[in-house]
Amino acid sequence: MTNPDATGPATGSRSDEQVAESLYAKAEKIYPRQVHGLFARLRVLGVLGLLGIYYILPWLRWDGQQALLLDLPARKFHIFFVTLWPQDFFYLAVLLIIAGLTLFFVTALAGRVWCGYACPQTVWTEAFLWIERKVEGDRMQQQKLDALPLNARKFRIKASKHFLWIAFSAWTGFTFVGYFTPIIELGQRLLTLHLGPWETFWVVFYGFATYGNAGFMREQVCKYMCPYARFQSAMFDKDTLVVSYIPVRGEPRGSRKRSDDPVEKGLGDCIDCTLCVQVCPTGIDIRDGLQYECIACSACIDACDDVMDKMGYEKGLIKYTTEHAMKGGKTHILRPRIIIYAIILMAIFVAFAWSFSQRISLGLDVIRDRNTLYRETGEGLIENVYILKVLNMDASGHEYDLRVSGIPGLSLHKDMAVIRVDSGGVLELPVRLRADEADLDARSSNVVFELVATDDDALVAREDARFLGPQ
Amino acid sequence: MADVQVPKQQKCIAILWPSFLVAIVATGLFFSAFDPDDLYPFGEQTEISRLGVYSIGFLSFWLVSAVSGIGTLYFAMTNCMRNLPESRDQ
Repeated sequence: MTNPDATGPATGSRSDEQVAESLYAKAEKIYPRQVHGLFARLRVLGVLGLLGIYYILPWLRWDGQQALLLDLPARKFHIFFVTLWPQDFFYLAVLLIIAGLTLFFVTALAGRVWCGYACPQTVWTEAFLWIERKVEGDRMQQQKLDALPLNARKFRIKASKHFLWIAFSAWTGFTFVGYFTPIIELGQRLLTLHLGPWETFWVVFYGFATYGNAGFMREQVCKYMCPYARFQSAMFDKDTLVVSYIPVRGEPRGSRKRSDDPVEKGLGDCIDCTLCVQVCPTGIDIRDGLQYECIACSACIDACDDVMDKMGYEKGLIKYTTEHAMKGGKTHILRPRIIIYAIILMAIFVAFAWSFSQRISLGLDVIRDRNTLYRETGEGLIENVYILKVLNMDASGHEYDLRVSGIPGLSLHKDMAVIRVDSGGVLELPVRLRADEADLDARSSNVVFELVATDDDALVAREDARFLGPQ
Repeated sequence: MADVQVPKQQKCIAILWPSFLVAIVATGLFFSAFDPDDLYPFGEQTEISRLGVYSIGFLSFWLVSAVSGIGTLYFAMTNCMRNLPESRDQ
């Protein structure tokens, strides 16, 4: 797609022919050159931090159990001191909305920082590139190796690389499954070769996805598969931080000796060394202007700053800037878009926090007996049978009082004298309701079950049910 | 555009990738609402573990959305490519 030796006008867009040619051409392998500098250090920091969190988190313990366990087999999510149940799905959905809005907010403010430093695709690709460099050498050595016909040495190097990649991917897949099923037991089952068929499937599936995405697909995931890359431009405005080449300063570009005076030669500051192109993980030329392939990783900034230093020019020929700043204007950080995003985000977050603090950790489900609609007792009363499911989501065990209302003279009969449920426990409680036929207005009447903890009035759950009788 | 054939690889990704994303969402929504232990496929209780049911559910959702993706691609092609005379002889 890009020619490292290309020289052309900075703002020159690709011609239609070039575009048509490149659209369906097989993607060429990109060999990003290693880069050193401030932003590269920041990214390494991000990569180490995020990978560290990913691989260590499932091993942390809290209160005698795995601190973060999205226990799918038990249908409970343990997140440190909170336990979420399927009933709490709402909170998870709101949390996802908050995460999405945060991404919008950050994008409007600082552009694609997510892509450049925090996206799993970037993070794992960096890790895979690091392994590749350790085994195959730098960019030049990699290109030379790939150009060679297969021989013993090339085979040995490639095999080592793939072995390391696969081992790393397998560990990644194992860790992934460890978020959903207790990881220590999972490890024991793995070591004794007693892994369940579905656990094995997901370890292999996630491992294979890591291997494919970070080892082979790389920038193509960002260019062709990432939905965020497609719609992020909608959050951009003229005050959003972007990585940009400053054409007024750099053009006309041209090579020169260090001792040459650019003014005398009629040249700008760009010495056309193409290092910015060589370090680009998506293989674009930043000097062509803002492109959707740019993941704002700022590798080109580091590379160019280094060159500017060597040439004795001022840094920042490629830099973080905004469209307004580039046109000589002022960048407005506080602007309607940012303020609106911030207000919506704050409002949802406050509502979420309030609602979560008010969460009642008691669940009540009422299931009518499916076999019989109703029956008549010896005393001539109409009886309906229900099964109540009591779910104690609180951190401690409780005893509960059960009341029922809705029909005059309605009586409640249960076999259990005391309703007691331990923390995290579910109790199935069969109950019978009896009413006089004379008190029933219709074939079907509404009744309300109310369950209250004996030691805490705030722990209350209500559930409606139908009481059926004769016509 | 009519004379440009979309590579098979790209078609596969266009079918498999969006359906994969849809399947994740659908699986999350469906199994948040329904406990696999409460489901009786074809009127019978299954011996499959919850993790197994989730997995089968996910793969089924993926398959169903992928099939729908194949349909979309097929019908989109009939309109803009297949009917054009220059692409017919390819």
